[in-house]
Amino acid sequence: MKIKDQFRFILQNMKKNKIRVFMTVLATAMGCAFLIVLASVAFGLHDSIVSDMLENRTINEIEVVGSEEGQGITDQDIAKFEELEGVRAVTRQKFVQQDAVYSIDGFEANAPTVAAHFPSEIASGVELAEGRLPEAPNEVVVGHHFIPSLTPAEGNPDEFYNEEGLIKEELQFDGDVIGQTFTMEIAKTDGDQETTQEFDVKIVGVMKAPGREWEWDQYVYITDDLLGELEAFTGTPGAALMDPSTFEDVSAEEVPYDQVTVIASDLESVKNVSEQLEDQQYMSYSIVNEMEQMNTLFTIAKAGLIFIGTIAILIASIGIYNTMTMAVTERAPDIGIMKAIGASPKVIKRIFLLESSYIGLIGAAIGIAAAYVISILVNFGLPLILEAAFNEEMPAGLQFSSIPPLLIVIAVVICLLVTILSGLRPAKRATEIDVLKAMRREI
Amino acid sequence: MIDINQLSHHFTLGKKGDLTSLSVLENISFHVRAGEIVTIVGRSGSGKSTLLNLISGFIRPTQGEIIIQDQKVSEFDESEFAAFRLQHMGFIFQNFQLIPSMTAFQNIELPLILKGISEQARKKMTIEMLKKVGLENFSGHYPSELSGGQQQRVSIARALVLEPPLILADEPTGSLDSETEEDLLRFIQELNKEMGITFLIITHDDEVAGIGHRTITLADGKMVESGVFS
Ligand SMILES: Nc1ncnc2c1ncn2[C@@H]1O[C@H](COP(=O)(O)OP(=O)(O)OP(=O)(O)O)[C@@H](O)[C@H]1O
Ligand SMILES: [Mg+2]
Repeated sequence: MKIKDQFRFILQNMKKNKIRVFMTVLATAMGCAFLIVLASVAFGLHDSIVSDMLENRTINEIEVVGSEEGQGITDQDIAKFEELEGVRAVTRQKFVQQDAVYSIDGFEANAPTVAAHFPSEIASGVELAEGRLPEAPNEVVVGHHFIPSLTPAEGNPDEFYNEEGLIKEELQFDGDVIGQTFTMEIAKTDGDQETTQEFDVKIVGVMKAPGREWEWDQYVYITDDLLGELEAFTGTPGAALMDPSTFEDVSAEEVPYDQVTVIASDLESVKNVSEQLEDQQYMSYSIVNEMEQMNTLFTIAKAGLIFIGTIAILIASIGIYNTMTMAVTERAPDIGIMKAIGASPKVIKRIFLLESSYIGLIGAAIGIAAAYVISILVNFGLPLILEAAFNEEMPAGLQFSSIPPLLIVIAVVICLLVTILSGLRPAKRATEIDVLKAMRREI
Repeated sequence: MIDINQLSHHFTLGKKGDLTSLSVLENISFHVRAGEIVTIVGRSGSGKSTLLNLISGFIRPTQGEIIIQDQKVSEFDESEFAAFRLQHMGFIFQNFQLIPSMTAFQNIELPLILKGISEQARKKMTIEMLKKVGLENFSGHYPSELSGGQQQRVSIARALVLEPPLILADEPTGSLDSETEEDLLRFIQELNKEMGITFLIITHDDEVAGIGHRTITLADGKMVESGVFS
């Protein structure tokens, strides 16, 4: 019997019981759509998070926390890091351990101060919005948010801010900061008494705004030399506001960096560099590590959701089993006649299996179409609902549901497998129909 | 054409633990030559249908062998027997056994579909067969829209469409009136003469038995006579 004829046979048979077949297809479609939509959430969120991570510059950064013995990173270590294969730059920063007060023309700001190695910062991808890098020891670069944080030195601080928590426009510092000289006030203590000293710093550059809206860069980036001057004044490492006598020795060479970041030349190198660092007994951390963990987590989540979805299809398969069993029972006399004439059991089995897988396939097709529609609605509607409910804007590009081809393949395979399995027994029963009994209408 | 050697059959009745064996056929042996019309007669319950069902492969003999066209069909498995039936045997049943949801045309076409013949060839052969049994104007009729005689002609057309060398018939005239019965018998003799088709026909009816070149008589599962019907 030709496949084409088997198919025509199936269609004829299905037409005889349109409503029953339709209901079964509907149940299968619902199961399939349920599986896809459910799993699509894990796929969508995973995609969103990964693309979010990849957009971030920090993706090929490896933060080196220290050696495994608990020692900090010094210039010696940094020289080693720069030798490693696949390293583009090594940024290192020492924080000034007190909030310095910067002031100019009746404006002032408390700002965190950090000593950075500017060539490696630039090599790592940091960019200046305007100006240039420091050349002289007292030249500094300020973060994008440094200027907006300047407030009038006089007056009631409570009145500086508007309803949104920002400094009122008329009170903001306007004018060009490049080339301006600020005074930087640093305090020191000898245990009892605090004294302050003013240092002149000249702003020569302003950093570009950070990649994300919520990131806040109010730092003042100073040179190593200036940090040295500050430390000489306070007598403490990192110019900490502490009694110098509690420290043993202050030689700049031995003070470890507060933050060391190795920037790999590309994403592929991150793993390699991480491993080399590990081999050399350094403790490091990169987003790639985190991503691997996250991928595992999402894979488990996806598998779990697909499993739950499969249960829905299994439930639908009960319907298919029922439909096929009834079809076999109803058609038993016809099957008996066909067997008598010379239809082989194989052909009969194939016809019924084909019928149940056909139901599964149509169900899957409808289910996939429905899942796409639901997915689009979810991606479009859910942010609107959440925004209305929480009065907060959703991050752009956030996708709740995504249906990759892989998910479609998985769903179709599961759907077909389940429907074929559920058609197996009825099909077998059809082959076992006794010709004589069927012809006597005893079944 | 057909060789039956020491064929015995018994049915097993009852439930597990309380089985009884009912012997229906005992040690039957006979031979049917190609081109013969052989009729089988005997009282009700003598085992005629059982014998034909064994030859058709619908049930399996307890003992003995059946050889059709030099093939030991009694050793075939179900698939092999199905293929053999399609190829070598046509069937005419007392109550026609047409598929009610199929038209006359589709019923006759069925064996051709099972054989895997192309749609074009099928159509030609089916129409030819419809003409042969005089039903060319009824091709779109469902069995319920045909008279008993017409239904039997559709079933004969279905049996003949693949041109099998052997046709088995279990009381083919059982549901027909005497006039249609005569038509049918004439047709059978015609097919036998013109196409050399071998017939094995079970009957209660003397008139039907009379068309046989030879008659086999069964009584209580035993063959009591094989000869020209008188
Ligand atoms: N499937 C079966 N199971 C058990 N016993 C059966 C079965 N089929 C037939 N028999 C028995 O076998 C015997 C022969 O039956 P069979 O149908 O061959 O008779 P028959 O000669 O065709 O009778 P009739 O002329 O009434 O059709 C009967 O006694 C019947 O009860
Ligand atoms: Mg009988």
